Amino acid sequence: MPRWLPPLIAIILGIALGLIYGWVINPVQFVDTTPDSLRADYRSDYVLMIAEAYHANQDAGIAARRLAVFGSDAPATIAAQALQTGQASGYAASDISLLQELTRAMQAYQPIPAPGNSP
Amino acid sequence: MRRFPWVSLAAVLAGFALGLIYAWVIAPVRYIDTTPNTLRADFKDQFRIAIAASYASTRDLGRAKARLALLGDGDSNQALTAQAQRMLAAGEPFDIVQQVAQLAADLQRGVAQAPPSTTTIATVSARIATQTATAPGSSLEAPTATIDLTASETVSTAGIFDTPTPRPTRTPIPTAGAPYALTKQDTVCNPNLTDGLMQITVVDRNSRQMPGVEIVITWSGGEEHFFTGLKPEIANGYADYIMQAGITYTVRIAGSGTPAPNLTAPACTDSSGQTYTGGLHLIFQQP
Repeated sequence: MPRWLPPLIAIILGIALGLIYGWVINPVQFVDTTPDSLRADYRSDYVLMIAEAYHANQDAGIAARRLAVFGSDAPATIAAQALQTGQASGYAASDISLLQELTRAMQAYQPIPAPGNSP
Repeated sequence: MRRFPWVSLAAVLAGFALGLIYAWVIAPVRYIDTTPNTLRADFKDQFRIAIAASYASTRDLGRAKARLALLGDGDSNQALTAQAQRMLAAGEPFDIVQQVAQLAADLQRGVAQAPPSTTTIATVSARIATQTATAPGSSLEAPTATIDLTASETVSTAGIFDTPTPRPTRTPIPTAGAPYALTKQDTVCNPNLTDGLMQITVVDRNSRQMPGVEIVITWSGGEEHFFTGLKPEIANGYADYIMQAGITYTVRIAGSGTPAPNLTAPACTDSSGQTYTGGLHLIFQQP
């Protein structure tokens, strides 16, 4: 048996042990995740909730802040993605209409700069 | 005698390390396509706020229930109530807290409450008076209008379906300084109410209902804190607590309240002569 074979077998064994440990014995637990990791349909339903609330209060600032939980994308982008998912998933026409309304509002929304941030 | 296979052991460890480097550095785990029940606690709170805000607009209790179920809370009602209390304690806007509390209340009832139009406190006062009506044969007085209320104050204004939600009227803010004191205490013998129900109403010096006021109830070996304003369908300054028979409680308003000691659930008798545990109605007011 060549001399290099036992270490090679040992390395492969080590990798296999690592994978068994990581995938079977102690697999990854999904906890403390963030909204941007949600599956697309859950994301779009979250955005739909915000759209339903926006329809009632017409407060684009609150809607934009709520959409900010999805990360650094622009609120209009997040709303538009949700609209696409909703259309692809066969949402009811009324829900699509709400998402369209929110998307339009976010496209028109101009956040008020915080004091001291203006040039 | 064979030598210990140090080389092979080292190779196994090196392989293990390579596996970890691959898993943690080169191709670390990316959380994608997760479900709402895995969200971090503060994001779950945001999710519940969004559900409540949506519910305030649509009054679709079934949809709200389905969405809450995604969060995997054992008891959605309890989770919402606890969150509302945390939000109040953190000083978050009362109208948002109210939406969360309203959803919790409707979940408990199992029916969507029609969005209340502007309701005067006088109506609420009448409801409290009805709740505290004494049983036939009881020697207790039926409370009269216990709260001197101004017609200008409103309980809540929830969303109207197709029109923008009317802005709620200004919510009174507790004023610091003047301590609240117990100004009225009624025994409530009403078999239709929960046994041992302690109803608390907190009003300011102008008899305006005060939401978001922290109440501390203590008894031998225990203490609990809760807030007014979580049952806006009754009154903004209302809170309640279930007393156990035979336990003596002390209630005070947190911060600057004068304690109301020696409170116990009274024994009442219904029309058929059966004894049951009655309740109390306390009013705290700033002098």
